[in-house]
Amino acid sequence: MVDLSGWWDDYFWGAITVLRVFGVSLILMVVFGLIGASAKLSKSRIAHKIAGAYTVAFRGTPELLVLLLFYYGSAVTLTGISKIFFPETQFVDIPPFWSGSLAIGMIVGSYATETFRGAFLGVDPGHVEAARALGISNVQTFFHVRIPQMWRLALPGFGNHMLSLMKDTALISIIGLEEILFVAEMATAVTFKPFLMYMIVALIYLSITTIITLVVMILEKYANRHLEGAR
Amino acid sequence: MTANNQEPIIILKDVCKSFGDFQALHNINLEVNKGERIVVCGPSGSGKSTMIRCINRLEEHDSGTIIVSGRKLTDTMKDIDAVRSEVGMVFQNFNLFPHLTVVKNLILALKLVRKMKKAQAHEIGMGFLKRVRIPEQADKYPSQLSGGQQQRVAIARALCMNPEVMLFDEPTSALDPEMISEVLDVMIDLANDGLTMICVTHEMGFARSVADSIVFMDHGEIVEMKPPKEFFENPESDRTKLFLSQILTH
Amino acid sequence: MNLEFDLILESIPRMLTGIGVTLQLLVLAAVLGLVLGVILLLMRISGRRYLSFPAFIYAYFFRGTPILVQIFVIYHGFPQFEFIRDSVFWVILREPFSCATLALTLNSAAYVSEILRGGYLGVERGLHEAGMALGLKKHHRFFYVTTPIAIRLAIPAYSNEFISMLKATSLASTITLLDMTGVARTIVAQTFAPYEIFISTAVIYLVITTIFQRGFGMFEKRMSRYIRQ
Repeated sequence: MVDLSGWWDDYFWGAITVLRVFGVSLILMVVFGLIGASAKLSKSRIAHKIAGAYTVAFRGTPELLVLLLFYYGSAVTLTGISKIFFPETQFVDIPPFWSGSLAIGMIVGSYATETFRGAFLGVDPGHVEAARALGISNVQTFFHVRIPQMWRLALPGFGNHMLSLMKDTALISIIGLEEILFVAEMATAVTFKPFLMYMIVALIYLSITTIITLVVMILEKYANRHLEGAR
Repeated sequence: MTANNQEPIIILKDVCKSFGDFQALHNINLEVNKGERIVVCGPSGSGKSTMIRCINRLEEHDSGTIIVSGRKLTDTMKDIDAVRSEVGMVFQNFNLFPHLTVVKNLILALKLVRKMKKAQAHEIGMGFLKRVRIPEQADKYPSQLSGGQQQRVAIARALCMNPEVMLFDEPTSALDPEMISEVLDVMIDLANDGLTMICVTHEMGFARSVADSIVFMDHGEIVEMKPPKEFFENPESDRTKLFLSQILTH
Repeated sequence: MNLEFDLILESIPRMLTGIGVTLQLLVLAAVLGLVLGVILLLMRISGRRYLSFPAFIYAYFFRGTPILVQIFVIYHGFPQFEFIRDSVFWVILREPFSCATLALTLNSAAYVSEILRGGYLGVERGLHEAGMALGLKKHHRFFYVTTPIAIRLAIPAYSNEFISMLKATSLASTITLLDMTGVARTIVAQTFAPYEIFISTAVIYLVITTIFQRGFGMFEKRMSRYIRQ
């Protein structure tokens, strides 16, 4: 471990970058997932079709490809537009951090669409009927009856999505984001110990995924606490 | 190794069993002779199922002795499978193997345990299928049969192994009312043919007509054990009286 | 933005080679991964800690780290060790294709073992008990009762894993392999036409995915013919 002299810092900051990407794409994933789920649950046929196309496209395409498409595609377009106004521009891109986060947010969002939709449909209709029969309004029923049950049902799937998201962040190094995998590449050129450098990356990811898994387990226990006594 | 005709085929002596803090069986003492028909009844949680599941060691008793066909059930038993093949069991939820046809369900154990050839096993299987009155269902899958039919197949499956004693764990509790009698009729038939059986059930009519003894259990203990006439007309314990009043007034 | 369709047409031959590499990688890794996955499963459910614990740790590691990192550890990392460079395996481990296959195999095995385990846990307890009550020995119960049902239960999850593996093959392009994604990247680097090339490549992946999904669907239907519809 002494061999890491000087590289600890870089790994640390790289890990922070990973966490920042995770945070941003997590929000995007939830947004896209909710929009997708509502589209699929709505009465509009167009909404269904668009949401359907979205899920099929993003679930059937390799993540790397989507990432490359978003990044290079937007770069080519932006550079083209920019050259019209400023002929000297060499290269304009959407920074890897943002195009990358958007890409993986949308990808995992397509899986989250199913999870959220399933959670919504999984709410016992009897409970909703009982609430309405008591005179509770639609909106109130949504917040006080549906949502408490939905998040309990969505939790396991959501936990898996978070893990996917975390692991997908590694791909963004391919388009140049300076996070831990990138650090490992640089470090290897200097230390000539690629195995060690990459294993550190693996272990950092492993620690983060472990934390996520533990947090989800605790949340699941909390969400299911009212079911524990049942024989 | 078979018991001689004088020895009870099943002996339970001071048997206790706990699940964690909950004691399911308190000092159970019971003897069942060959040819006897015992019905076990009692409220939920009284330990009825636990007791019979200890007899074929689907549950392991904590203390006391259980002897089945002259063999003592212990922790280190090597031939538990052999003992189990002598004790037939019918489950509340039938537990038919869903991926096998009816006839394959019947002969699986014959082929694997008794090492019979397919043709011979098939004959025996069809014989018992006729006995339970549904030979035409032989090549169907369990999911295509009604509950009553499935349970009858389950009975036939257990009978194929020619067990010395049959255990029934609430065989009709999961059935729709109109199918209960077809299963009970089969069981009455078997009883009349001399099958030794221990049956956990709520069907008091069945108990009255078939049982040699009725065992009433409550809170993990055997409270009373009497022939049907005395049991229904002259119960000793207050707990028995309470139970009878609860189930017989509707 | 005008899409140049001639560009797509010109690139087709190279894309076809790419498809070949992708499918080779996929099938090889899937088969080997399945075999290893079954072994891991047996270790995991063996009931003996010295077997189940390593299997658990293995799955934990490979499911908790990104595939890309796993690929890099093998391709870039292994050459660090002299004993590997000197060994008989070096011929294999030097090649990007084998490294990618190895990484995908190891990764897939971890997921497959968990999927199969899910299948086994999903078999109702009552069926085990029925087998026991009939006096069937443990290995008989395992082969004739539990396994057929577990396999059917595992099919949906396995088909998802298979599709994931298809997508994971694209990562091999990061270690110079010319699979579909690798070919696409090369063409884009030469032509600066990311939209045409990447989108058409994506379409090919989608077509292949759909074909496999239909295939698994039909397989599942066949295995489920005894279930009440």
